[in-house]
Amino acid sequence: MILTKIASRNIWRSKKRSFTIIIAVSFGLWAGIFMMAFYNGVIEQRINTAISSELSHIQLHHPEFRKDYEIKYHLPEGRKMLEKIGKDSQIKATAGRVTIKGMIASASGSSGITINGVMPIEEQKLTNLSGKIIKGNYFNPKKTNEIILSERLRKKLRLNLNKKAILTFQDEEGNLASGAFRITAIYKTVNTPYDDSNVFVKITDIDSLGGIPNEINEIAVLLKSSKLLDESQKKLKREFPKTEIQNWKEIAPELGYTVSVGDKTMFIFMGIIMLALGFGIVNTMMMAVLERTREIGMLMALGMNKFKIFMMIVLETFFLILAGCPIGIMLALVTIGITKRTGIDFSQFSEAYSSFGYSSVFYPSLSVRQFGIMIILVVITAFVSAIFPAKKALQLNPAESLKK
Amino acid sequence: MQETVIDAHNLSKIYDEKTIPVYALNKVHLHISRGEFTAIKGPSGSGKTTLLNMIGGLDIPSEGFVEINGTNITELEGNALIDFRLNNIGFVFQSYNLIPVLTAKENIEFIMLLQKRPKKETEQRVLELLKQIGLEDKINKRPRELSGGQQQRVAVARALAPKPQFILADEPTANLDSVSAENLLDMMLKLNQEENMTFVFSTHDQRVINRARRVITLEDGKIVADSAPTSVVHKETAIK
Repeated sequence: MILTKIASRNIWRSKKRSFTIIIAVSFGLWAGIFMMAFYNGVIEQRINTAISSELSHIQLHHPEFRKDYEIKYHLPEGRKMLEKIGKDSQIKATAGRVTIKGMIASASGSSGITINGVMPIEEQKLTNLSGKIIKGNYFNPKKTNEIILSERLRKKLRLNLNKKAILTFQDEEGNLASGAFRITAIYKTVNTPYDDSNVFVKITDIDSLGGIPNEINEIAVLLKSSKLLDESQKKLKREFPKTEIQNWKEIAPELGYTVSVGDKTMFIFMGIIMLALGFGIVNTMMMAVLERTREIGMLMALGMNKFKIFMMIVLETFFLILAGCPIGIMLALVTIGITKRTGIDFSQFSEAYSSFGYSSVFYPSLSVRQFGIMIILVVITAFVSAIFPAKKALQLNPAESLKK
Repeated sequence: MQETVIDAHNLSKIYDEKTIPVYALNKVHLHISRGEFTAIKGPSGSGKTTLLNMIGGLDIPSEGFVEINGTNITELEGNALIDFRLNNIGFVFQSYNLIPVLTAKENIEFIMLLQKRPKKETEQRVLELLKQIGLEDKINKRPRELSGGQQQRVAVARALAPKPQFILADEPTANLDSVSAENLLDMMLKLNQEENMTFVFSTHDQRVINRARRVITLEDGKIVADSAPTSVVHKETAIK
């Protein structure tokens, strides 16, 4: 009790110094929490974009399909599977596709691409394809052989709306198949590599051309929540044991890697911030101990044992941190709250970001778990930093200290 | 026969032992009995503070040992020594050395709190001491709000509060004006008589020397004179 009293009152003995450390803690905590939230936002945005626009949560294929992406490896009774999956209450949207690796050509050039034969209505629910259209109109059910390609491909192939592009690919029997498709719309996403390599046609136009009428070789599943991923994947594996069922991390391991690298990078940042904070605390508390050499010597002379001296310094540091924490937390929460609504705009670097599949506007977000980790990190830093000055205090000789 | 509280045997403190040895204390023998009011005088550098530090367990002798009530404190180390000081020795320092963030009352009760004495006993003792030192109205004042004399009275009360075996006071009047010094001496003499508390001072101050019942004179680390315990006015006896 007396230790707490002395430690808490000692904080205000050197107001300037205490305010400096309180500001350092506040700033460190604010920077740490905000950095974590920002990084989180960047990663979440990339993953959410990938899931909602490109991969979906889960994809089902023929077990041989992903080896060479051959059209002959379609899903037997794929449409029945699709119907069954669509009835699951955990599923937000699902759609069947015919996905083929092929080539697009115009009079000006050609490019290797993935031809996505999609079900227009289902695909709209699944990936909001029409939302990415910047020119032209979404598929018209009454028309055939329409194609939607990206702005980048359009420029590369010097094409325009209503012009024709030729798609060429191998059909089910390995023969070359090709067809002319009229450009009905141009799309643009935040992911440049994706735009460079994906075109969309109606499934009904491509399945017959590929020799697999009414068949599908890919089912994409979007869940109501990412938390349901493992459970849903297991359930689907039980239902369709002969089908390859992969989640987004398995389909695009580089995305899962992004999360793990992101976590590590974030902890390196946190480490640097905590190290700076720690040095600040050590420096300030060391000054406090050296300035109070005589007083600490007197306390030892009077009979305050080493543990109590140690605890007094640790408590003093802890109270200083405690004073800085609420300010830092408040600042961080306010900053995150505002930027979560407005976003942080890095439009001037949009080209660079989109080449890695990122949008140039980020929305910081923070989980309760991460918030807790941050607070624990600060508290640990405070305690660890308090050890050095406290040890210094313990090394003092009372008789020598009293002379100062 | 009076009970011996402090028994210092052959105490020496030697600095730079390996090069040119300097004797801060040189083979000092000292016995102090309960209830004594003893002043240790001598010029600067004569070893007064060193002797007090040895007796108080704040410094380790190069030779010899100190017994307090039969306990050889020279053999005690670390927390055992700190605990011994806490429970047996009261200190009063030249520069008061109160804890600046605590009030007068909190400073007085500090040692008793460290000793984990019952709250009621501590409260009673603190109030009693505050009355004895005449600072009941300053109970909640911090040291910076008290005069030098008042601070030293609080320091004496702090040392007295847990009723230690004896009180060591290193030049307690050095920073006080004459009125405050006289008041402090009156108070300490009164406590010495009323509570039979043993006081050992180091001092230059003639006022303290005049009122001590025993005066020990140190020169170059050696006791050169030790007056027999007398009443207030002493008479020095040269040590051959």
